[in-house]
Amino acid sequence: MAKKSTQRRRVGKTRAPDKVKITSPVRPSTPANTYTSKPVSIAFAGPEHRFTSADLEILGIDHSQASYEGRVFFNNPKADASTPKTLAQGYAGSFYIFGHGGCFGDVGHCEINERLDAYDLRDPHPLRPTLARVPVTAALKQFAKSNAQISITVVPVVSAATELSDMKNVFRFQQMRFLTYNS
Amino acid sequence: MADNLRIRKAVHNLSDSEVSAFRDAYGQMQAITDNRGYAYFAGLHGVPNWYCQHSTDTAPAYYFLPWHRAYLYNLELAVRSRVPDVTLPWWDWTLRPPRQSAIPKIFADRTDGSGAANPLYSFRINLTNPSIHHATTRKPGSPDDLPAQTDVDDVLSTGDWTDFTLALENRLHNLVHGWVGGDMGIVAVAAFDPIFYSHHCMIDRLWWLWQVRNGNGSMPDDLLDTVLPPFNMKVRDVLSVNTLGYDYAAAQAVVPI
Repeated sequence: MAKKSTQRRRVGKTRAPDKVKITSPVRPSTPANTYTSKPVSIAFAGPEHRFTSADLEILGIDHSQASYEGRVFFNNPKADASTPKTLAQGYAGSFYIFGHGGCFGDVGHCEINERLDAYDLRDPHPLRPTLARVPVTAALKQFAKSNAQISITVVPVVSAATELSDMKNVFRFQQMRFLTYNS
Repeated sequence: MADNLRIRKAVHNLSDSEVSAFRDAYGQMQAITDNRGYAYFAGLHGVPNWYCQHSTDTAPAYYFLPWHRAYLYNLELAVRSRVPDVTLPWWDWTLRPPRQSAIPKIFADRTDGSGAANPLYSFRINLTNPSIHHATTRKPGSPDDLPAQTDVDDVLSTGDWTDFTLALENRLHNLVHGWVGGDMGIVAVAAFDPIFYSHHCMIDRLWWLWQVRNGNGSMPDDLLDTVLPPFNMKVRDVLSVNTLGYDYAAAQAVVPI
């Protein structure tokens, strides 16, 4: 018999909205927290490597909260929502998260339940993390010409949030990697 | 093309009488509070029933397109039960003025031509748990930030099924939800905005255009018998829009013979 799992992963607010009156979602004016990686080698993308396309794949993205555009910049840790989306500023591309807006249910509604056992055939919890692939071919080729390493900055620009949404810690993820392809 | 297929037209190509019939159908549905009504269908997607399927890194977007096709199909049947000749129109967000304003006029006008409230402009959500009592709003971004035809072409050129559906969902679908903003910007309440269904018609149409070129691609076999709750349909039932009785066209002109 399979071992019973009691593992649960909590995302966002786990309290029920109680008496919160939920109004129409807004575009918040206060910026969300940006993320900047440690330097990563991009030797794999040097001119001698003839890749035809490249993606930045981001795994384990929390989509339980606000919706946002994640703007990806190379070597520009000071980038913010007002930074032009140009290669000169290190802009590499964007991904878009359609967020659930916070927890609209009772206590525990947004806790990600693992399968109870091998006989649990229910669909996975809808708030299991999602993934994004950002095409970054042009930017990666450009930066690889003169950089052995780059940092990656993600600027989340929130497009919609509710009273139940965490508007600051919007971009939460588990893993990030480059993938290059040869056609 | 099979006989008697209904044609889902582009929003910008609807005639005045077609717009009037579309508004009439939504208006009638919005007045119905039982399971034939607009609020019932809107509540299947997010609050309070949460049936919608979007990608996770466990099941990357596998059900996103089939589930939403089944959703539109069932909604369209309910719409046609009110006004038989109406089909859901698709919002081509790649168009720019003068052919179409960013939010199409038929959705952006507060009133219809007679001065009555436009049922395509907004819908009032009334839910007790969670407590949501407001009319849907939109907070659109700059028209320049909507996807362009080149973005669509790039996604349609993706040959692999999983890569295609993920790109369509994340790079086009999600972008437009966030671009419209307001209720459309949040999964929980997006389907209460009347423009939701025409946005998803565009997504469904792009999937169909991809299918015309690629068939079902590398869609996993074990996906085909997956049910799409709450609808009594499996993934294999929604693979062909013609089997569901409709097709897409920018416009239609019947030649007299």
